[in-house]
Amino acid sequence: MKTAVLSCTGLDKPEGSVAREAAIRMAEAANSEIICPVLLNRSLARYEKVLADNSLIVVDGCSTRCASKLAESLDLKIDRKVLVADALKSSGLTLEPTLRLETNGAALAQTIVDGLVQSLAAPAPAQPSGTSSTEFPPPGEYLIVTHDKFEFRIPVSDYWFNENDVWVRPLGDVARIGISDYMQQSLTDINFVDAPAMHLSVEQFGELGTLESSKAVFEVVAPVAGTVIAVNSEVVSNPTLINEDPYGKGWIVQLKLSNWPEDRELLLNSDAYAKTVKHKAEEA
Amino acid sequence: MSEATFMGVPREKIVWHPTIDYQKCTFCMECANFCPHRVFEQREGDRRLVVANPNNCVVFCRACSKTCGPDALSFPDKQATIAQIKQMREQVSVQ
Ligand code: SF4
Ligand code: SF4
Repeated sequence: MKTAVLSCTGLDKPEGSVAREAAIRMAEAANSEIICPVLLNRSLARYEKVLADNSLIVVDGCSTRCASKLAESLDLKIDRKVLVADALKSSGLTLEPTLRLETNGAALAQTIVDGLVQSLAAPAPAQPSGTSSTEFPPPGEYLIVTHDKFEFRIPVSDYWFNENDVWVRPLGDVARIGISDYMQQSLTDINFVDAPAMHLSVEQFGELGTLESSKAVFEVVAPVAGTVIAVNSEVVSNPTLINEDPYGKGWIVQLKLSNWPEDRELLLNSDAYAKTVKHKAEEA
Repeated sequence: MSEATFMGVPREKIVWHPTIDYQKCTFCMECANFCPHRVFEQREGDRRLVVANPNNCVVFCRACSKTCGPDALSFPDKQATIAQIKQMREQVSVQ
């Protein structure tokens, strides 16, 4: 896959210097095109061809996520991203408070590049065989919660919700997870899905990846405990599917349940969730 | 008014809100502009931002910390909070 890298300029924090270094190393290791964020901001035309010919990797330094926000503001399709601050946490390294690249910064940049090169070589997270969407029939009837000119749909049955607007639909010992129509509308168009890793085991209310829109970064709070057995590759490549069909084709992950039905005690049924949504919509 | 509950427990009994590390905060106000629940408030003086309404914070949400460049916002431990909530739910159901 041919790639282009858009990174932080690296002139505000040490994490930024690492992002910038990772971009340079991606150019060396994987022949990626480097996109200068300042120049891109000044002249999209300069990079039109590069963007048309390559998949875009975004490397942000810190959670301000300037590079991501720039890409979003220009409506660029992001294929992969890395947040150096997160990579730093999982590496256990510490960075010196300087903008010059130090030994640890260089090591971290290399780890990031190795991870990217590896993920580019591996095929996209596949849907394991035998878990086609036909096993989960589409949602049936909906309850409708209205507020002002908005309408929020909630499937009448088969779905359970946590108060963080994430649904679970169990079927035997597996379950699908996604976000509610209410949350999908609050986030507006979702432009990036950071899905959890396959085989990740998660506790109830643990983190199952994040979704990003121009308005927010949303943490998917697991409604149930389990192990990730499938990631919906269609929403990873086309995140607005979540906006279009939040309870059906917009499912995010499939879990093997580890503590059902006990987990259900802490979840809301459709009627209770409808009340919660009404309350949230009135407060917002 | 005790209408606000989370998982059947009165909201004010659950400790869940961001804490600002004033050594790190640059008062960029990204978090305050981001959160729709009026958890943060801007003030005069040195500490120009405070967590004024901790109980407005949505339990288990950590979204504002994902907008904070200097990583100045922290939250309680989730598992500990869940354990706490479960315990309170049991007390409520016994009464
Ligand atoms: S986003 Fe972080 S640095 Fe900015 S005001 Fe909030 S706590 Fe402070
Ligand atoms: S955690 Fe969520 S609800 Fe709480 S202050 Fe941050 S953004 Fe607001």
